Amino acid sequence: MIGEHNENILSDMLPTYYARQFPQNIFCRWLACGSSPQPLCNRELSFTLADDVYLRYLSISHQKDLQTLLQKKCPHKLDVGAVYNTKPSVGRHDAVVISRELVFDIDLTDYDEIRTCCQEARVCEKCWKFMVIACEIIDKALKDDFGFQSILWVFSGRRGIHCWVSDYEARTLDSPGRGAIADYLCLIVGGENQSKKVHLGNENLHSSIRRALNIIDKYFEQLLQDQEFLATDKLNSFLKLIPDDALKSQVETTLKKMQEPSLNKWNTFINIYENYCRENGNVIRKIKYLIEEIKIQYCYPRLDVNVTKGFNHLLKSPFSIHPKTGKVSVVFKSANAKNLKIDEIPTIYSLLDDSVAENNQHETNMKAAVKIFQELVFALEKTEAMRKRSDANTSLDF
Amino acid sequence: MDFKVKRKSTKTPATGNQFELYPHDLQLYKIPPVENITLQEFETLALERVNLLRTLSTATTLRGLRLNSEEFVEFVLNDLRAQGLKYYAKLCEKSGCGSTKADFEARRKDHIAHFILRLAYCRTEELRRWFIARELELFKMRFAVMRGEAVEVFFKLNNLCYTTISEDEKNEVIQNLIESTPYSKIDNMKFYKVKFFEVLDLVKARKVFLNDGYAYIPHRDFISVLAAQYRTHLKQNLAKACHHLCEIEQDERLVCLLKGLHQSYSGNDYSETKAVIPIESLDSISTKSFPLCMRQLHEQLRIAHHLKHGGRLQYGLFLKGIGVTLEDSLRFWREEFIKIMDLDKFEKQYAYNVRYNYGKEGSKRNYSPFSCLKIINTNVGPGDCHGCPFRHCDTGVLKNKLIGYGFSHQVVSDIVELSKKTHFQIACSKYFDAIHNADVGLGINHPNQFFEESQKILKGELKVQPKKENLVKKDIVDSIDAMDFDEPLE
Ligand code: SF4
Ligand SMILES: [Zn+2]
Repeated sequence: MIGEHNENILSDMLPTYYARQFPQNIFCRWLACGSSPQPLCNRELSFTLADDVYLRYLSISHQKDLQTLLQKKCPHKLDVGAVYNTKPSVGRHDAVVISRELVFDIDLTDYDEIRTCCQEARVCEKCWKFMVIACEIIDKALKDDFGFQSILWVFSGRRGIHCWVSDYEARTLDSPGRGAIADYLCLIVGGENQSKKVHLGNENLHSSIRRALNIIDKYFEQLLQDQEFLATDKLNSFLKLIPDDALKSQVETTLKKMQEPSLNKWNTFINIYENYCRENGNVIRKIKYLIEEIKIQYCYPRLDVNVTKGFNHLLKSPFSIHPKTGKVSVVFKSANAKNLKIDEIPTIYSLLDDSVAENNQHETNMKAAVKIFQELVFALEKTEAMRKRSDANTSLDF
Repeated sequence: MDFKVKRKSTKTPATGNQFELYPHDLQLYKIPPVENITLQEFETLALERVNLLRTLSTATTLRGLRLNSEEFVEFVLNDLRAQGLKYYAKLCEKSGCGSTKADFEARRKDHIAHFILRLAYCRTEELRRWFIARELELFKMRFAVMRGEAVEVFFKLNNLCYTTISEDEKNEVIQNLIESTPYSKIDNMKFYKVKFFEVLDLVKARKVFLNDGYAYIPHRDFISVLAAQYRTHLKQNLAKACHHLCEIEQDERLVCLLKGLHQSYSGNDYSETKAVIPIESLDSISTKSFPLCMRQLHEQLRIAHHLKHGGRLQYGLFLKGIGVTLEDSLRFWREEFIKIMDLDKFEKQYAYNVRYNYGKEGSKRNYSPFSCLKIINTNVGPGDCHGCPFRHCDTGVLKNKLIGYGFSHQVVSDIVELSKKTHFQIACSKYFDAIHNADVGLGINHPNQFFEESQKILKGELKVQPKKENLVKKDIVDSIDAMDFDEPLE
């Protein structure tokens, strides 16, 4: 077993981690490639130090700088920011943001109103499935709908996932563009005071929503069992999702009498709904997609859209250590999200201490994660080289 | 831009080249005018166009009419006619390529006035944004009323050559097109393929099929592509105009005129305040003078000692607008937040934002408090408490809240009914009456206006009729649609 996480000993371990485990070389290449045509040194990095001192507008020109900086400052948190028109430390307030990866941040705390297994900072295998679904849906949309290719998925270190899109088109997108993509992907809207957060109308369902629903369907029953969305004490919040009062009271009377598990209740609900629609053809407009709406409310990714819309939001770097958990922000393949086990994620302790039982396993996992990162960076470098070549060709024409 | 303003009047020659200059009602304003005009005409044209844009702004932002809906078009045309702006009414009613003298004259005025306003509206980010939004509404409106042949001429004149996708390609994705394009009868529509970022408005609203980075749009959605291009064009040129401003700054009268144009109508933006409100009074003042959106945020902050980003922004700017100083503001947020976090964390993560709201960090802009329209149309997500409660609360929640404040049954159900019918600002006006126990019937379009009006009443600067009982009847609800929300009542 790994010992309790302790923030104080981080300062002792981090220098070794940065020197031996952190993939400095490939990290710099990823940053450089994602900054071009601006030089690497125009990219902002920020550090949070042991005593919570927050350093912004740092930058590096090559790997050696990074190494020195990491050793000198030993950041407890390492964030990556935007690319500016000049060295960020020089320009400060006058520097203009030129580009930035398109990023997504999905955090389990935004699922607190629906997940029943954990709350706030906690996460377990059951609620991790929300992340698996989120990853699959967003990944597919980015690839199929928007044609993006360089998509990096990163475990946030505690209870969420981040996504970095490095395609040139994505990096140079302006804020309205980012906003439009965020809104396109965001189906759950409404605040603390609104129970029903999904409204699909009564027209055709957009292809992207259909596709998302197909993905959700693969997991829905499992989630229903894990989370018991319709358990007796949760039933009221479920009923609030039904906008038609007559249907609602029918469902209420029947389900209140039923025993757990939720799966049975759910199937009964579907029966009642279908009968109700058959008998009341006229009210169907309002509840045409009720089943779909409920599924989406329970399973669809809950994006923090402000992170995506903002151009220069700083986001935790891949392979940095989460200061609160000691876990490595490992990179993973979207197709593999479901195999990612929270306690198999390497921690700074398990990596640096070969006496702990997990050491071997975690080292292997770390290597695998670095390899995935490498492959992505190689592919990105290739595309970037091709783009430059074709840019050079077109500019010759003029 | 190259304006020569003459002091003496000269007749504009009706020359033959007008046809070359102005072949079509709808222009993309690529080339600035070069003719000489009198200062008098300069001023008239400028004011007339400000009025035109103002009409649009009233229609969309104050009345909440959907752009290009029937009510919208009707309102705009009537308003323009009422102001005697016949040539603009004509240009907005239909876009064609007629060649009468009146046609040319209207297009000429349109052209010159547009460029004058570029000079007037290029000075600040805020002005630029307002101007671009209005000009885009105008453009979209005029594009929408353009008919068959005129459309073709327009495309040809502006070298817009896009090719449609082949039948085979269309058939491959036909199922997706049917699902994802919001029109019926897709079968006989021709589709174009453009990059997704050319039609961001359609992407945002999920009203277009996307595949591999391309958006598939039918002809009638082409306006999205054009509007996006037009927006970029305007944005760049306003930035350029701003650089060249100094060239015309030598003519003092011109400068005054340009600077005064927007103020000539826009009124208060609540980014400046006079009185100082001490934070110690916020608890009591929030029940007496805050609109519900702000009262709710205040309560939430007191209960949870925290607000999410959107709430901090909405409430923080409002507080600034009613006269809470930066120092007080910092103290106010700090005192709440440190009940659940270290002082250090607050200073690092949140103090910046407070100073930012006051224009002391980041881009250092003096941000204006949000208007109702902005708040009503804002996005609220899980955990958020901002937005407009009449729009962003479930009926039951709203009802309980109001009952909890001790309002009578009648008042509560009136307000809830109005919210259900999406008359959010009118519901807010009822709430205003309820907390002042009066019948003011105020048209509300800004939380800070709500606050100021309330303060006037409380300080006795404004006399109001105390409420007569039993007045709340159905007829009030019905006549409310006819209420004028154009200007705050003074
Ligand atoms: S109508 Fe305006 S002032 Fe009233 S609650 Fe809504 S946003 Fe606030
Ligand atoms: Zn859990």
